[in-house]
Amino acid sequence: MNAPQSIPENAKWVELNFGPQHPSTHGVLRLRAKLEGEIVRELEPIIGYLHRNAEKICELDYYCDAMIYFDRMDYVGAMNMEVGYLEAAEKLLGIPPPERAQWIRVIMAELNRIASHLVWAGAFGLDIGMLTPFFYCFVEREKILRIFAEACGSRQETNYMSIGGVYQDFNEKIIYMIEEFINQFPKKLEDIFNAFVKNDIFISRNKGIGILEPEVAIDYGVTGPMLRASGVEYDVRKAEPYLVYDKLNFDIPVSYKKDNLARFLVRFEEMRQSIKILKQAIKKIPDGPYFNPKAKKSLMIRLRGEGEVYARTESSKGEFGVYLVGDGGVKPYRVRVRSPTFKNLSVLPVLAKDQMIADMIAISGTIDLVFGEVDR
Amino acid sequence: MVEILEETKGKDGRKILKVAKENLIALLSELKSQGYNHLSLITGVDRKDRLEVVYHLHNMAENKYIVVKTETFDERVPSATSLFSSANWDEREQYDLMGIVFEGHPNLKRMFLPENWVGHPLRKNYDLSKVQYINMDENGEDYATFDPGDGW
Repeated sequence: MNAPQSIPENAKWVELNFGPQHPSTHGVLRLRAKLEGEIVRELEPIIGYLHRNAEKICELDYYCDAMIYFDRMDYVGAMNMEVGYLEAAEKLLGIPPPERAQWIRVIMAELNRIASHLVWAGAFGLDIGMLTPFFYCFVEREKILRIFAEACGSRQETNYMSIGGVYQDFNEKIIYMIEEFINQFPKKLEDIFNAFVKNDIFISRNKGIGILEPEVAIDYGVTGPMLRASGVEYDVRKAEPYLVYDKLNFDIPVSYKKDNLARFLVRFEEMRQSIKILKQAIKKIPDGPYFNPKAKKSLMIRLRGEGEVYARTESSKGEFGVYLVGDGGVKPYRVRVRSPTFKNLSVLPVLAKDQMIADMIAISGTIDLVFGEVDR
Repeated sequence: MVEILEETKGKDGRKILKVAKENLIALLSELKSQGYNHLSLITGVDRKDRLEVVYHLHNMAENKYIVVKTETFDERVPSATSLFSSANWDEREQYDLMGIVFEGHPNLKRMFLPENWVGHPLRKNYDLSKVQYINMDENGEDYATFDPGDGW
């Protein structure tokens, strides 16, 4: 190791390395910042520390095997990733899921959206020095993970959905657990919400910080809650409805304030809308088969797909797209993933320019980074 | 008006335009002036004898989607960074994993892998049997090596 060099007197800026093993970078983000005093003048994100090349691994496997690699992309929102992959794979293979399976998928995706936002809220609190809300968030998330464990035996990387339907049907107990959850959650959510917004330090650290103009956001490909907090009303669930989202009544939360606080408020409002969706879905869920008989487990590895399909879905982070190319064989020819956080992270150098370094942490906290998905 | 080689429809009903790579930037800027302001995704597909580059464009205001395709035999494609900022990281990723050189890109470095990594993993002829290890030098820069004793 070289001895640390003293800073020359006429130096204009200091180069600071930040991460990849830093507690407030949400995983393995590494930043190189040029600082002038405490002001960030230039920022370069360096990523790839969790890179596994899932796209290549998927090419080497059968269509049904790719599921587990999608689970491990956004590992706090695994159900949303499964929905995204299956939207593309089922169109390519020509195996539509039955009605009941679609409703089950919507319920699971919305539960996971709440769980993902709760993880974000807790971790964001930690970023700016609030320890208490973290525990309240994780108590609620634990209840959702218990529902997942009941449905598929696994808590986080669920591998619950499969081509043509879902792995197991809902039983009485799961329905009861979900009903119990949606009855008690809104009150708990307000408690968590108040723990944040009734704190003056929280407000003063987030109000007016990290302004993202809508034109810049669209130019950089930012989607999801970040784009909606900049005043653009765009949600794939409304713009191009998939599954049964067109039969459900819900609103898209939009804020025109464009700052950190707006992104916080949009995510909390999304959780309230998810509860609204769940309340309708649990009543409307029809009887019937939960699995398409064309995709029997013994036939799974003989499925062949030809052509190309691009499917986009709304994950908890933004627009999640899967581009599948098949050449008529049993394995996909090319799998390409549009991960929302990869695009959302690319705007960080613009957002953090000329901000204090402490604000840069708060801004990168509101992006909702999950590195399994950025690096894939 | 830009010359379109072929117009087809994908399995998902999206319109696919195919152009020669010389006309690519002209077509993209024409689409941008029509309101396709969101470049959603850039994909490279290795067709063994040639490389295909696919652009997914989205019109936010009118909610329309269009796919632009081009192909190259010498691994070179003009860069779209002058039109869309989102092309910056996507092109770096495709350069890293697929080995497509985007001409005119301001900062064409590898996105995920170290600078001296041998080969481009998403190519069909990439040799998966050769393991490369990653280590860090004294300046904090990552480098790749074939020697298992040198990596972590």
